[in-house]
Amino acid sequence: MGRYHYVFPKWSNMLLPAAILAGLTLPLYAVFIVAFGFSPKTLEVGFMPHQPVPYSHELHAGQLGIDCRYCHNTVETSDFASLPPTQTCMNCHTHIWKDSPKIKPLVDSYTTGLPVQWERVHQLPGYVYFSHTAHVTRGVSCIECHGRIDRMPEVYQHEPLSMGWCLNCHRAPDANLRDPKLVFDLGWGLERDRKTRLTDGAHWREFNNLNPSQDCSTCHR
Amino acid sequence: MPSVSQPHTSDQPAVATACGASTQTAAPAAAREGKSYWRSIDDLADTPEFREFVHREFPNAAGDLLESTDRRQFLKIMSASLALAGAGGLAGCRRWPETKLAPYAHRPADRAPGHPVHYATSMDFAGVGAGLLVTSYDGRPIKIEGNPQHPVNQGATTLAMQAAILDMYDQDRSRHPINVGKESTWAEFSAWAKSHFDALANGRSGGTGLAFLAEASSSPSVQAMKQRVVARFPSATWHEFEAIHNDSVVQGATMAFGDGAYRLLYDFSAAKTVVSFDDDFLGAGTPASVKWTRDFAAGRACDNGAEPSRLYCVEGIVSLTGANADHRLAVRNSDVARLVAWLASQLGVSGVPASLATLDVRSLAAKADLEKVMQHLVQDLKGRGPSIVLVGDRQPPEVHLLGHLINRALGNFGRAITAAKIDGAQGHVAAIKSLAEKINSGAVQTLVLLGGNPVYNAPADLDFAGLIKKTPTCIHLSDYDDETSRACAAAGGSGWHVNRAHFLEAWGDVRAADGTWGITQPLIIPMFDGKTAAELLSLIANEPVTTSYEITRAVFAANVNSGVVGDAEGRWRQALHDGFVQGSGFAAGAAPEVVGSDPAQHFAALEQRLAASSGEFEVAFTPDAGIYDGRLANNGWLQELPDPIAKLTWDNAVMISAGRARSLGVKSGDMVTLTVGGKSVTAAAMIIPGTHNDVANLALGYGRGEACGRVGKDAGFDFYPLRTSSAMGFAPATIAKASGSYVLATTQDHHPIDSFPAGVGTQERLPTLFAEADLGHYREHPEFAKHHTHVVTRLSLFPEDHPFQTEMIGADGEFVGEYAWGMSIDLNACTGCNACVIACQAENNIAIVGKEQVKRGREMHWIRIDRYFKGSDETNPSGFVLQPVNCMQCENAPCEQVCPVAATTHDANGLNVMVYNRCIGTRYCSNNCPYKVRRFNYFDWWGRGPLREQPGVMLQVEPDYYLKGQAKADPMRQMAMNPEVTIRMRGIMEKCTYCVQRIMRARIDTKNQWVRDKNLKPDDPKVQDRKVRIPDQSFTTACAAACPARAIVFGDLNDRTSKIKAMHKHPRTYEMLEELNTKPRTRYMARIRNPAFSAEHSGEQGGHGAPAQTTTNTGGHG
Repeated sequence: MGRYHYVFPKWSNMLLPAAILAGLTLPLYAVFIVAFGFSPKTLEVGFMPHQPVPYSHELHAGQLGIDCRYCHNTVETSDFASLPPTQTCMNCHTHIWKDSPKIKPLVDSYTTGLPVQWERVHQLPGYVYFSHTAHVTRGVSCIECHGRIDRMPEVYQHEPLSMGWCLNCHRAPDANLRDPKLVFDLGWGLERDRKTRLTDGAHWREFNNLNPSQDCSTCHR
Repeated sequence: MPSVSQPHTSDQPAVATACGASTQTAAPAAAREGKSYWRSIDDLADTPEFREFVHREFPNAAGDLLESTDRRQFLKIMSASLALAGAGGLAGCRRWPETKLAPYAHRPADRAPGHPVHYATSMDFAGVGAGLLVTSYDGRPIKIEGNPQHPVNQGATTLAMQAAILDMYDQDRSRHPINVGKESTWAEFSAWAKSHFDALANGRSGGTGLAFLAEASSSPSVQAMKQRVVARFPSATWHEFEAIHNDSVVQGATMAFGDGAYRLLYDFSAAKTVVSFDDDFLGAGTPASVKWTRDFAAGRACDNGAEPSRLYCVEGIVSLTGANADHRLAVRNSDVARLVAWLASQLGVSGVPASLATLDVRSLAAKADLEKVMQHLVQDLKGRGPSIVLVGDRQPPEVHLLGHLINRALGNFGRAITAAKIDGAQGHVAAIKSLAEKINSGAVQTLVLLGGNPVYNAPADLDFAGLIKKTPTCIHLSDYDDETSRACAAAGGSGWHVNRAHFLEAWGDVRAADGTWGITQPLIIPMFDGKTAAELLSLIANEPVTTSYEITRAVFAANVNSGVVGDAEGRWRQALHDGFVQGSGFAAGAAPEVVGSDPAQHFAALEQRLAASSGEFEVAFTPDAGIYDGRLANNGWLQELPDPIAKLTWDNAVMISAGRARSLGVKSGDMVTLTVGGKSVTAAAMIIPGTHNDVANLALGYGRGEACGRVGKDAGFDFYPLRTSSAMGFAPATIAKASGSYVLATTQDHHPIDSFPAGVGTQERLPTLFAEADLGHYREHPEFAKHHTHVVTRLSLFPEDHPFQTEMIGADGEFVGEYAWGMSIDLNACTGCNACVIACQAENNIAIVGKEQVKRGREMHWIRIDRYFKGSDETNPSGFVLQPVNCMQCENAPCEQVCPVAATTHDANGLNVMVYNRCIGTRYCSNNCPYKVRRFNYFDWWGRGPLREQPGVMLQVEPDYYLKGQAKADPMRQMAMNPEVTIRMRGIMEKCTYCVQRIMRARIDTKNQWVRDKNLKPDDPKVQDRKVRIPDQSFTTACAAACPARAIVFGDLNDRTSKIKAMHKHPRTYEMLEELNTKPRTRYMARIRNPAFSAEHSGEQGGHGAPAQTTTNTGGHG
């Protein structure tokens, strides 16, 4: 009004403060989105793909009490725990539930010789070399990395398996160590409090002279 | 844009420009007083091109992007890749795509996925067997080692043995039989063959018209099946042919012993003097050379008062043996005979004609001290104890006879040389000539070729392709659909190619160099249903047993187990486990009485031969160090392997001397025309200092076309057309400059260790890189190598408390603390055979980059063999030097300090660790490395074929390179990879890791066992107190395992009883570039030469005031 008619509308006064506010908060927001949204804890944990055969660890390992090593029989000697061949399943299932439609993919595999195509749940990148035998031989139980598998009707990823997560244990392994003989007893020792867990672990670490390496060459070859 | 294969103006510098301007290079060389070690003529002449390589770590790097002429295309591709990278990377809620796991339906017993197992097997190479230990991973073989228990191999291997693994996974391997150009199956072939050979047998002609041409084979199964065939077809003829033939050896033995069927076995460790007349026993690459190299290296031991042997080498070309010789004389190939004859007369061999008994020095060699050397040679042979005189197989038979007579006169038979009687020996050239005669006379209706490639490598005058055409039925059993197979298929009538099983897929047997019976067992079922020679023969012979397994067992039972009481099955199983039969070597003794009591007739023939040779220019036909006679031409590893002396990759060349090049007016890369007996070949020339002026070295096995396979086709030049049956070893020739030039990719100037300013100081430094001395000097100053460099101060910013430096003593006195990995390379033992280079390539998934990239210095070999010439005269180097260089794993690593992302770090055991996924490709680490041992992946090598030249125009890659995404090699190539080592992609730096995957495997296994024991036996105090320790030499790096000379030793420096500890404390040990205070974990042990007299250049080692004529570095001690 009057002779001095400004070109910009009144609301444009808010632009600069709004830009400053956005410039401070939005990057922060983006960082948090990426840090939490793209972290392995978000992306990996809870991953539960659908499997071709509805195999239930809860039934077999939990209720029936079959030892982990019956199927994953190379875990103590090889870097890979390895999935069991179909013939391991058929050891029982040629007699038990042999006509069930759920077992049918196994029977087909057994008769044709073609493998069952399982969906991989736990996976590390190709440049990382993890050795199962190095861990289970020295008292790291299955549940430390895989969670209570014996309570999972369908396997899901319980831990992020990121490098930082691995290093956490390598730097302070006591909480995750136990008697090597009890590694496959998944429900063992969970009732202990943190202090006992640490003391027990420390004992086994010293007894077995464990010194988890933090050198890059341990995993990156 | 010109493609690489067409000759274009070479960017190689001018060694000699116009004819007559011969002083051009002499002037700079003479002016550079002090130039005693040099890598190439460019280096010696200090050309701008050489300086380019020295100055720029990554020469011509910018050239890639500027070569494109189409900017629009470039932008299109870049934007497409950017879009895809964005779109693909963010797709999906998970970090990476889901993958499937497919376990066995029926897992074989004892198979643990991811757990490598080892099987002993054997391989036959050019008619001699070798014992191998092969690593099998998830049911496929991935790495070949020597069988540690085998008497000949003793854990070591040659190049061909290491590279054989890639041959099995060759994409171009023949996958099915071919009948007259059409794909077929074994069933069809065997049906046809049965009817064909039944008709032949029932025709009651006894098999007239049936002929066999086989490559040399030591296999008793093949022998047995041959006998069955001959029993069924008594009139059939059997001919054996090898391009690297044995005629001179067999004929010479016949002349000497009355019977050609003898194999000579040498004990180089017992011989005090070894004289080689044109015999490259160290560099031949045959299975026997493993034993020769090991024994020779042992014979060079000079510590604790041991007297090392002395090697004389008389040759026209430059061979590995010559490079290792204490005295090397360059003479014409044809003149070698004169020297042998003269030597024979000096040693009292009767009947040597007078014309040969005198030494005409001037005509023989340019080297002024030839007479002096020969006099010393005679003295040494007479007075130093057991000796060995060798004659190479290129020399005529009469020279071999002279050699036998010389050895007889010296009493070497029964001492350093023993002779073993073998079943039979057929001269190869004579055999193929008789076959040719038969075919030409129409006497052959069916020709069966077992292996070999005669259309490519038979003597040119026989015109084998024409012979095949004349034969109605030809059957060729071979690995590839090669020239011979294609000729057979094109022949009128029925022509068959039958695909052969690789030795890693088949059962069989071999006999090693010393006669040891070896078993070949398969590590994988035949991938393409190939068959072995024994199987094919058993089919032809209508035998009831037709599988290679049954044949091998039957032959084993008939020979090894025959007449043996007791557990036959147990003996078989023991042999299968060991890979060979213990104690089955030939019974070797002193050679039989030399029959040549009147060798006059042979000497007359020799005289005639020598009179006929005009003394002009000659060519020598030599097997290539990598691909031998051409059979391995499609093996990318061997094509890219730099030739040990020439450092030439992906090609061969006419290797001539600098003097000859100057007189022709050519430089390396220029084309020359060679004419032998009317036939001409135009090829690229290459200057190899040390070659005799009148000799050209022609490496065989190149110049093959499409039939070779995609890797080896168009590589190099085919010299077989020049090779006729009358002159298979060397032949008189004429050479003339031709027009045009050719790009030769050599590695000789790559990764030079320089100093700042570029190139200056290199000469002063070189004697310290490679320390050597004469024996006398070593005896006076055992630690001379340590005093080469004057290390002023060893100040470091880092704490100096490394375990092995401060010698912490542990409770048990032997082993302290952590492991401290170290390596020692004994230059006195290393002969430069390059087996370590291929072993490393096989173990660590090292990529093949192709010729163009090699030319830019981008070859990926983690260990390289540096080759230097010595002396100041390029026409006459006074010596050669071969030095393996790999990552030194410096404790004070310059590379670790400059990585911006900490991709290369140091671990607690002294390893300089390379973390591939962190690397962003700055290349600062390589820039900072003084040894130049780091290799950068300029391209995604695995996303390209292992080809000599890449087909793409833009950026030298295939058009869909950027659109392909993640590196994806062909499935066959993927099978050859070692899963324990990361595959590196574009933009990542890599280097030797001391085989960290093997170290980790050993550490995990040892600690696991220790923990298990500790927990199983809590009450056993011995178990409880035992320390964790990897036994010394229970595992080792790939290079150390492969080395036949045992020059490389690897181990734990904190283990005070370990071999490596002893090596590092040895007086001869020194560090390379010690003055830089990098504190390398790889140390070298100096080489000790043992010349008979002090050559004029022997004082160059510097050190304690020794007169250093050619260097200015006197080590700071005045």
